[in-house]
Amino acid sequence: MSGISRRKFLKSTVVAGGSAAAAMSSTKSAFAMKEFEGYPDSMGVLVDLTRCIGCRTCEAACNKEHNLPEPAVPFDNFSVFDQVFHGGKQKRRPTEKAYTVVNRYETKAQGAPVYRKIQCNHCSEPACLTSCFVNAYKKTKEGAVIYNADVCVGCRMCMVACPFGVPAYSYDSALHPEIIKCNFCYDKRLKNGQPPACVEACPQDALTFGHRKTLVKIAHERIRSNHKKYVDYVYGEKEVGGTSWMYLSSVPFDQVGFNTTLQKHPILDNTKSFLGIVPMVLGIWPAMFLGFHLLAKGGKGEKEDKSKNKVEVHGE
Amino acid sequence: MKSRKIWALKGIIVALFLLAAPSFGAAGEPPATVRIDSLSHLYDGIDFDHEMHVGVEEDCSVCHHHVFGDGVANKQCARCHSDSKGTSSVACRDCHVEEPFTLEHMMKIEADPNRYHIDITGLKGAYHLRCLNCHIEMDAPSECADCHERTDIGDRFYRSGKYAPTGGESGGHHE
Ligand code: SF4
Ligand code: SF4
Ligand code: SF4
Repeated sequence: MSGISRRKFLKSTVVAGGSAAAAMSSTKSAFAMKEFEGYPDSMGVLVDLTRCIGCRTCEAACNKEHNLPEPAVPFDNFSVFDQVFHGGKQKRRPTEKAYTVVNRYETKAQGAPVYRKIQCNHCSEPACLTSCFVNAYKKTKEGAVIYNADVCVGCRMCMVACPFGVPAYSYDSALHPEIIKCNFCYDKRLKNGQPPACVEACPQDALTFGHRKTLVKIAHERIRSNHKKYVDYVYGEKEVGGTSWMYLSSVPFDQVGFNTTLQKHPILDNTKSFLGIVPMVLGIWPAMFLGFHLLAKGGKGEKEDKSKNKVEVHGE
Repeated sequence: MKSRKIWALKGIIVALFLLAAPSFGAAGEPPATVRIDSLSHLYDGIDFDHEMHVGVEEDCSVCHHHVFGDGVANKQCARCHSDSKGTSSVACRDCHVEEPFTLEHMMKIEADPNRYHIDITGLKGAYHLRCLNCHIEMDAPSECADCHERTDIGDRFYRSGKYAPTGGESGGHHE
C-alpha cells in the first residue's frame, strides 16, 4: 500500500470512528468521573506575556536541545511573525520541525505588540492521551505528557483531540508514523529535576518553571500586586481540567490567540461518548490497528513491546 | 553525566551582569562603570556605564529596590519595606540567583509556607526585566546587540551569521 493511499484510508477511518462516537453519545453518563486535581508533584511553566519580548531565544534553545531540523530562517529573523496561513487567520503553530513557536499580536487593548510562545500545554488530563487507542501517550508524575513513537500507529486521533492544536505529524517517512510535539524536555531534563531548555534560555524570565501548585499562587500574586497591568485570569488554571503550562496576559486572552471558549473540565468528558464505543470496537479496532502497525513497522521486522514505555525523542 | 551547572551555563543566552558589590568606595561613591560578564556565553560581557545611568535617573531605588534604605519607589514593596534599612550589599546577585529553577532553590523557597517572596526572578531575568523594559519604555537602544555583542557560540545557537540556514523548506507550518 502506498503511503498516500494508506493515509487517506486512515483518515476515512478516523472520520468513521468520529461519527460512530457521535452516534453513541447516549452512553455518556455511564462514565461520569470524579474531579481530578492532577498530580501533586506536577511541575509546570508560567508564561507571562507581559514579559515576553518576542526574541525567539526559546525557539532556538528548543531546536538545539532536541537537534531539530534547520529552520527556514535564522532564529533572530523576526519576519516569521508576519507569516499567516489559512486566509490570514492562522498564525504559526508548532510543527514537526519546531516543538514551540512564538507569535506576535497587535491588539486593540495595547499599543505595543504582545508575543505569545506556544507549545504543548501538558494538560492534567490530556485529550491526546485519552484519545489514543494504543496508549502511545503517558502523563508522567512530573507533569509531562510524553509520546512513544514505537507504539504509535499513526492514526492521528490525538491531533484531532488536542484542544490546542499541538501534535504535529511527521511526513518524513510514510512507513514510520511519528507524532511530534513538545515533551517538556522530559528525557534530558525534567525527569532529572532540571528546567526545560526554553525556560533556562529565556532572557526575560517570561517563563517561570516550578511546581504547578506554586505557579498558580505566583500567578495570582502577580495579578494581585499589579492588577492594573494584568488581566485577572490565569489561562490554563482551569481550562480542560487544568494544564501544566499556564499563561498571564495584559490583554484579553482572546485578542492574543487563546481559545477562551474551552470548557473548564477535562475533554475526557466529551470523549466519554467516544469511550463508550470502546467495548464495542475493542475486538475489532486493535486488530485493525495492529495490522496498520505491523504494516508501518514492517521494515523493522519485529513487534515492539508496549509496556516498556520507551520515550522517543525526535532527532536524537 | 554532565553536571547541572554546565547545562545551565550553556543555556544562558545573554551576558549577565553581576554588579560588583564591593566596588563602592569608602566614600560611598558609586562606580563609574561595572564590568558585567561573569556568565557571558552567547553574548559578550559589557561595561555598564553606571555613571551615565546615574545621570539619567538619580533615584537609586528605581533600579536597586530598597537596598540603600532611602525609600522604595515601588508602592507594592513599600507596603512592607517603607522603613527598611539599607542592606550591606547592593549586588543583584545576592537575591537573584543565577539558576532560579534548580530543585534545590525551589525547595528552599517552598520550605516556608508563610514566605511572601516566592516569585524572585533569576539574575538573567532580573537584569533584562530591569534594563530592557526601561530601555523600551524610554526609547533607548533595545536590540540585543545594542548592549552586548553576540559571540560565535551565539551565532551558532541562533543559526545566524555564518551559521544561517542554507536552504530547505519555507518554514513554520503544516496542517
Ligand atoms: S496540549 Fe494537546 S498535546 Fe499537549 S497534553 Fe494537552 S491535549 Fe495533549
Ligand atoms: S519544554 Fe522543551 S520541548 Fe517543550 S518547548 Fe521548551 S525546550 Fe522545547
Ligand atoms: S525567550 Fe522568552 S522573551 Fe524571548 S520569545 Fe521566548 S518566551 Fe519570549
